[in-house]
Amino acid sequence: MNETQAKEEIQLIKNMLERTRKATAESGTLFIVWGVLITLALSGNLLLAHFKKYDWIWVNWVAITVIGWVYSVVYGIRRERKEPILTYAQAVARHLYFSCGTTYLLIGIVFPALKVYSYPAIPVLHAAVSGILFIVMSGIYEWLLLKWMGFLWLLSAVLMSFFVKGTNRLLIFTILFIGAFLIPSFILKAKYKRELAAK
Amino acid sequence: MIPERFEPLDPVIHSPVRLAVMSILMTAKHADFNYLKKETGTTDGNLSAHLSKLEEAGYIRIKKSFQGKKPRTTCSITEKGRSAFISYFKALESYISTNKKEESL
Repeated sequence: MNETQAKEEIQLIKNMLERTRKATAESGTLFIVWGVLITLALSGNLLLAHFKKYDWIWVNWVAITVIGWVYSVVYGIRRERKEPILTYAQAVARHLYFSCGTTYLLIGIVFPALKVYSYPAIPVLHAAVSGILFIVMSGIYEWLLLKWMGFLWLLSAVLMSFFVKGTNRLLIFTILFIGAFLIPSFILKAKYKRELAAK
Repeated sequence: MIPERFEPLDPVIHSPVRLAVMSILMTAKHADFNYLKKETGTTDGNLSAHLSKLEEAGYIRIKKSFQGKKPRTTCSITEKGRSAFISYFKALESYISTNKKEESL
């Protein structure tokens, strides 16, 4: 082995690592599904709040959550079986989705039911968790837009807690959710399709 | 003959296909046979032989299962394989740095 051969082998290692890293493309399907479900739940929440049917809000969230979790589990199993490779970055992303999803549930359903805090605190806490989710994802997928969305969520959490009260907070959260969650999910999906076509 | 100042290279990894497989598995939790075949640009038989060598050395784990009616082979790296790869990489670096030292002298 001489220096040139050693350099060639190191180059081969680098190429393989880089190609595997690029295999970490995210389809965004789960994001879209959850995005649509949560938008539906938020709209239902706004309607129920408008008609002062507060006792039904938990039914709305539980129904959406059950549908979302069942879909996510089935989708996860099917993808795991079909995918030719599972990178560590993808594994980290899955753990992140799972932990944030669980936290959304605790914040939105369990803690308010246990009277840890009142319902107007939910949008603020959800916005904070979304901020964490997007910033970590921006690191995994090396995508600046997600980082900006993350900071937007964190900033919104702070602004909502200072300036927006009651049902208006839910309205702002719904608008924010469509703009800073659903739209990036569709962009993510389009990016994935482009990357897939380029392969 | 390798001079004493060079780190010895692990013969199990010292092959382009096996090196490529080990590099892929370093960043992947698991990869299936077809993916490895595509990335290494080798044939079924050739890849099987290389994978067997890596498995015999305890560097990778090979799991055979069925996806519906189709058989599926997935590979993942072991702890032993991980440390062997790191040592191999360090050994490669020693060839470069030692030569650079010689050049600078």
